[in-house]
Amino acid sequence: MSFLYPLGLLGLIGIPILIIIYIIKSKYTEQTVSSTYLWTLSERFLKRKNPISRLTGIISLVLQILAIALISLAIAHPIITVPDLADEYCFILDASGSMNMTSGDKTRFERGKERIAEIIDDSVDGSIYSLVYVGNTTNAVFEQISDKEQAKLLLTETEPVYNAADFTDAIGMAQGYFDKNSGMQTYLVTDKSYQNHENVTVINVAGSENNYGISGVTYTVKDNRLTVNGQVTSYQKDASLGVELYVDDGAEAKANGTIVARAGVPTAFQLTCAIGKFSSLKVSVSNADALAYDNEYVIFDVTSESSYDTLLVSDTPFFLQSALETLMNARLDVVSTKAYAGQSGYGLYVFDCFTPEALPKDGTVWLVNPTQSVSESGFSVQGEVSLEAAEKLVLEESSSSTMTKLTADMAREDVYVMKYVKCGLYRNFTTVYSYNRNPVLFAGTNGYGNREVVFAFDLHDSNLPVLFDYAVIMRNLIEYSFPEVVERTDYYCGDTVDINVPANCESIRIDSPNENVSYLNTDNATCTLKLDEVGVYTVTMTVGSSQRSFNIYASMPEEERIPTLVETEICLLGNATDGGFDGVFDPLMILFIALAVIFLADWGVYCYEKYQLR
Amino acid sequence: MAQFTINEEFLQQIELLQTLIKNNIAGQFGGNHQTRTYGSSCEFADYRDYLAGDDVTKIDWNAYARFDKLYLKLFLDERQMHTKIYIDASRSMEFGDKKKAEQALKIAAALAYLSVCQMDKVSVYAIKDKAVHEVIGGIVGKEAYIASIHRLNEVQFDGDSFISDAIMPLNVGYGDGISVLISDFLTDNDYENAIDLFTDKKRDVFCVQILSQEELDPVVRGRVHFFDSENAEKFYRRNIDREIARAYKRALEWSIDRIKNYCAARGASYLLVEAEESLGRIFLEKLVNMGVLK
Repeated sequence: MSFLYPLGLLGLIGIPILIIIYIIKSKYTEQTVSSTYLWTLSERFLKRKNPISRLTGIISLVLQILAIALISLAIAHPIITVPDLADEYCFILDASGSMNMTSGDKTRFERGKERIAEIIDDSVDGSIYSLVYVGNTTNAVFEQISDKEQAKLLLTETEPVYNAADFTDAIGMAQGYFDKNSGMQTYLVTDKSYQNHENVTVINVAGSENNYGISGVTYTVKDNRLTVNGQVTSYQKDASLGVELYVDDGAEAKANGTIVARAGVPTAFQLTCAIGKFSSLKVSVSNADALAYDNEYVIFDVTSESSYDTLLVSDTPFFLQSALETLMNARLDVVSTKAYAGQSGYGLYVFDCFTPEALPKDGTVWLVNPTQSVSESGFSVQGEVSLEAAEKLVLEESSSSTMTKLTADMAREDVYVMKYVKCGLYRNFTTVYSYNRNPVLFAGTNGYGNREVVFAFDLHDSNLPVLFDYAVIMRNLIEYSFPEVVERTDYYCGDTVDINVPANCESIRIDSPNENVSYLNTDNATCTLKLDEVGVYTVTMTVGSSQRSFNIYASMPEEERIPTLVETEICLLGNATDGGFDGVFDPLMILFIALAVIFLADWGVYCYEKYQLR
Repeated sequence: MAQFTINEEFLQQIELLQTLIKNNIAGQFGGNHQTRTYGSSCEFADYRDYLAGDDVTKIDWNAYARFDKLYLKLFLDERQMHTKIYIDASRSMEFGDKKKAEQALKIAAALAYLSVCQMDKVSVYAIKDKAVHEVIGGIVGKEAYIASIHRLNEVQFDGDSFISDAIMPLNVGYGDGISVLISDFLTDNDYENAIDLFTDKKRDVFCVQILSQEELDPVVRGRVHFFDSENAEKFYRRNIDREIARAYKRALEWSIDRIKNYCAARGASYLLVEAEESLGRIFLEKLVNMGVLK
């Protein structure tokens, strides 16, 4: 036994002081009565001497001595070490999206934290604790610490995420602890049931919550009529679900319906309304349930966001101008090569049979039949090659996504050229057509980070402009040059979104649903955004002096919507033993209880003496 | 010093009462109390044969006409009684709120008034230590009563009192009335001899024991050190618990029974009075019921 505050034992000095006080101080109350005759006479009538009466004074003294001794001990705060009393605890805390389900006024995650805190409180002092948090990532919140309060403090700081959790790493970490100490008690706090769990105690915090979810929402617009299709699911029991459609953040539902959904079976629904164009639509389930995050689905219209101005520098612009004007919904300025003076402010610069001194830095560049090398272009011009006869270009075979986009819908007609410019590529370009292994139509990113398309031949020296594939490949190149920032706007939480960085984009700011702000790297043509939260992400791009914003909606993953999920097994390999640690027993509470009993007893003795409460 | 006041209306009420005497009174003067001897009162007692030398005015001529023999008509005698009231003037009577002493003086005053109303002679004495001090000496009549009753307020309740030692040397009279002894009798000193003396002298004895509420039902509990108000050397130190409280009650009962039985055995009257008890209840109920007054 040791004492936290040994100086508290100085209080024991009070015991001899108390005894001295008892000896010195007479506790008899002096009183004068008319006559002591009857009192003296009463001695003859005492039937028996009550031994307790004689002892009351001593009992009171003994109780007060005990009280002083216990108070001194309590101040000194004794700590008793008991061998093999304490244990090691490892808690694996499931922070997946389904732990957000609410029952009463608490989520499953909060209930799980409470259970862990209870186990920590109930454990013997001296035990050690580890907490493995399984959320977006798996990490040890605290590792083999013995301070209960610190453990509980760190526990309270954990929050659930929205996507699915992978327990593989957590089990690996727990296995590591278990290998070191096979007496460790491992608790998995989750809302999933496990058919087999070996060396792991599963604390299932799932209740009888019911959840409704909406998924798979798509839309079509035809004849100024918006049709929205999707599925609703009642995961626990049959339910009649109300589905409402809101457009452009409107407060009033444009359409609604009631769907009778069978338990666990996704049920299709369709809502229509007379709207031809929208910026966002939201479909929601109006029924209240345990998990609100999957009760709505939001889609944003991305096609409305793209339009760029184009500068065409050419002395013979016919083929290009007609194609661009036909296929693009943007302003097209056409200037002659002599009139070009380094203009800026365009999203696309097309140089036809002309190579500027320096490439524009603020937009996508098309170089058609480049006449000379230019810095940061990513290739060098090695000279013009004239063919004796029109030669067929080779359409490259590649399964890359860029190639797929560039050759989409092409009829793959034969393309012939009479002359071409031999180019040496020193950046990573995707070659669409080549001749004799020399790239003649390729696309990539130049030194300024902007997209670049190179026609290494004059369109007038080929049959391409008269082919069907001309329109197709021009459309593909335009889409490549003006990529949609994102392919779609509806994702699941946990997905990674590829964001196409526009030319000359200075910054991309991400505002998450939980109002966290982050910025993405704009150095490359594509950057990625990991969606960790459920709700609307706002992506704000600063391009030149203008800002463009668009939204992405991340919905709750399907597997996290199911209230009662049964997994197969979770186990730690090895045989559990009873090995423990030296436990610390804190008798302070017992001391206080004993003190209370002694005070009560002393009070009883006092009352016995004073009022004879017998 | 205990002071008392007495209600004049109460005095008017007790004027109608009369003291009943058990013993034959042998007073020198005529009064209102009938004796067993024949005298000259209006109360017919008996006949006897006429003897030579008898007063002829007392011959019953009607009886002579019927029996043809001279009979003398006898009447009861009525004598004056001498009421002697002895007040225990020890400190125990005055200790505390002085109620006991005040009650003793009130009772003495009321009894004295009752006596003077019956044309009896009244004397009041205070017993202090082993001596008896006359407070009011042999007064007769209301005027004398009114003139001297204030002396009761001059009685000093102090020290101890030895009733028997004080009374035994006295000439307490013989068969001439009632001796009233007013005390708390909370003493182990002898008082029985005094009672015996009174009865030996053919005097009626009336013992009045006055006890305060605290003495009848003490509420004190716990560790106490009692000092005796009369004698500083006497003390009682004890942890007063319920057992001792019960023993005290038994001691009190024993003490009361002691004097009560002693009085009963000697034909003396005994009355236990609480210090705060009203005189009306004492005189108009208790004493009447006891047969001391009628």
